[in-house]
Amino acid sequence: MALSTTPDLQPLQPQTSSNRTLTRKRPHRLSVTSWVFMAPIAVVFVVLYVIPMSQSLYYSFTDFDGYVSNPAFVGFDNYAELFKDPSMLSALGYTIFYAVSTTILVTVTAIPLALTLNRKFFGRNLVRSAFFFPAVPSVAILGLVWGFILNPLGSGVLNSIIRSLTGLGPIPWLSDSTLAQLSTVAVTIWALTGWHAVLYLAYLQAIPADYYEVSKIDGASSWQSFRYITLPLLIPAMAVSQLLLMTNGLKVFDLPFTLTRGGPGFSTRTLTQSLIEDGIAQSRVGAASALAVLFLIVVGLVVLGQMALSNALQRKYS
Amino acid sequence: MLNHTNSPQRRRKTSLRLTVLGAVVAAAAALTGCGSSGGSGSENTVSFYSWDNEASMKPVLDEFKKQNPSIDLKVSYGTPVQGYISTLQTRINSGTAADVFIITAENKTEIMEGGFAKDLSGEPWIGNIADAAKATYTKDGKVYGAATASWGGGILYNKDLLAKVGFTNPPETWDDFLALCKKLKDAGITPFYESGDGMPVSLAALVGLQNEASGGTMDADIWAGKTSFAKTWTEPLKDWSELFKQDLVSPSVAGLTGDQITSEFQRGSVAMIGTGSWALGSIQKAAPDMKLEFMPVPGDSGTYWAGAVSPGYAVNAKAKNPEAAEKLVEFLQSKTGVELYQKQNAAITTTKDFTPELDPALSSMVPAVRDGKFYLPQVTWPTNSAALNSETVSLLQQLIQGQTTPEKVASALDAKLASLQGK
Repeated sequence: MALSTTPDLQPLQPQTSSNRTLTRKRPHRLSVTSWVFMAPIAVVFVVLYVIPMSQSLYYSFTDFDGYVSNPAFVGFDNYAELFKDPSMLSALGYTIFYAVSTTILVTVTAIPLALTLNRKFFGRNLVRSAFFFPAVPSVAILGLVWGFILNPLGSGVLNSIIRSLTGLGPIPWLSDSTLAQLSTVAVTIWALTGWHAVLYLAYLQAIPADYYEVSKIDGASSWQSFRYITLPLLIPAMAVSQLLLMTNGLKVFDLPFTLTRGGPGFSTRTLTQSLIEDGIAQSRVGAASALAVLFLIVVGLVVLGQMALSNALQRKYS
Repeated sequence: MLNHTNSPQRRRKTSLRLTVLGAVVAAAAALTGCGSSGGSGSENTVSFYSWDNEASMKPVLDEFKKQNPSIDLKVSYGTPVQGYISTLQTRINSGTAADVFIITAENKTEIMEGGFAKDLSGEPWIGNIADAAKATYTKDGKVYGAATASWGGGILYNKDLLAKVGFTNPPETWDDFLALCKKLKDAGITPFYESGDGMPVSLAALVGLQNEASGGTMDADIWAGKTSFAKTWTEPLKDWSELFKQDLVSPSVAGLTGDQITSEFQRGSVAMIGTGSWALGSIQKAAPDMKLEFMPVPGDSGTYWAGAVSPGYAVNAKAKNPEAAEKLVEFLQSKTGVELYQKQNAAITTTKDFTPELDPALSSMVPAVRDGKFYLPQVTWPTNSAALNSETVSLLQQLIQGQTTPEKVASALDAKLASLQGK
């Protein structure tokens, strides 16, 4: 069905015209002011990002163990080693699984939740706060609490409930490789959905009510309103949300580590855990640096791909 | 002609640039940690980076200050294990390590090979350190750490639960131990738990027996290529995996932490756990009426204990106040220092001039521990112990789940060692 009277839908963008006017009028003052504000950030960027990344690149070609001041040059040996190490390959596989699955599942749960929270109902603010709450405590604390809930013994909270309701024996939530992987993803979805729903909610509230009124006049169903109005206008929100989810997923460490310490076996070991353990605890800074460099490239490519996809979708619907 | 050099605009611009430059330099200095040194401040100051927490060390260090009023002691406390190791590593690299720090299994190779600690073999008090403790931190005849305690690991059992199945004496062979587990299971009692997040003490002791049979040189021989993990570890792994093959122990232990199994034991939900002497205090606190005792791990050729020498005190090779640093280490290993430390930690101290009074539950373990008759692979492995330990723990978790076999675990360890050695 064509929504003939529906106005052209533009993705929500920050208003920038007044900024441009200001730039034209007072270019000199703005550039100095910008410089003043940019300088500390530039220093932070150089000291905390550029220098460490350059050091990592250098160490990745050496056998640096974290202690000696003159490590030997080993060429690409550290890079070749990465692809032979089963624990590293397992960490790569799990990290990708975790990042992709949490990105998809959080998105498909956060959008319906945001739509629900956008409706008027009694106690709406309380419900919104309740869903947002998991984003407040430290992830490490969430991991410890969920470790208690998912304790694989019969004394675990969830296992006790299941036994009292069904009589079933303890389920090895964190002791079985597959269940441990699924459990870490499930806890992440629980922890992040509320936060991302609030993000979508902010964008939903910016959609003018006129659009829905016009579509109603044209006889659009609820699904059609969602498909042709809400969803296209949520694409910028999806771009932001999914970028955050994907980058956080790829560099995740705290939640799986506090839940399972990377086990059982290598099943929930993440790339960041490998980086930390190999680089610091195991004094293999050279090998860990090679992983960090490769990881940076992979994350960069994933983010670029995701941004290209988001831009293409925005162009299609704008 | 106008002199632009002194124009107000120019001055404002210059002033602004100087302000920004100052802010940038200040920010850079703050971010890079420049400015005041992290080391000692005066000639009478000695710095100490402690492994034990403040509650444990305060009475000891207060006594040192009392005996040495002219020395200003600066103490910082680390968070073992990983936090301590990484902080110390960073401080050594930046030349800001404390005058006295801790050398331990996880960093001893790098500390000793890098020459970051002073040789203590010539100190007049070194004879007071137990032989096993000296050997742990010795390389090429030089002693780099003074360890004053050791810990033992074995099977801690609930006497009342074992009495229900007619237990009288600890099992003498591994088969006897399996039979005891079966008896407990048949009586509806969970027989044995051991956490999967670290090297199991039962397996460590079984491998220790193998090491004893090899004359105590097993690990050195593996590293020298004279033998292999496949040849030495497969049998102990086979014995150990029978616990899971015979369904005597739940595979859920693969995902359990030491705290979780301790908590199950305190509740009386399990008859025996594999743990170390350090756990006794907290268990007795949580379950004061429980009758407990440790027994050694029984193997095919006798019984043995897991265990290791505790971290040792090391003097920074570049200590700013080496005399005071040596004085501190001398005090820490002295009878007074060890007695005060033991009072706080209930540790099995091993210095020769002090015999600790320990809990009766440790009675069977103490003689072996004080004699150094114990084994822990990751402490004895000559190099790459942290990397191999992490690999072993993950492989054992797979073995518990039945995803691999003892033979494959041992071969994987050989492959990992070869990879770490660049072969």
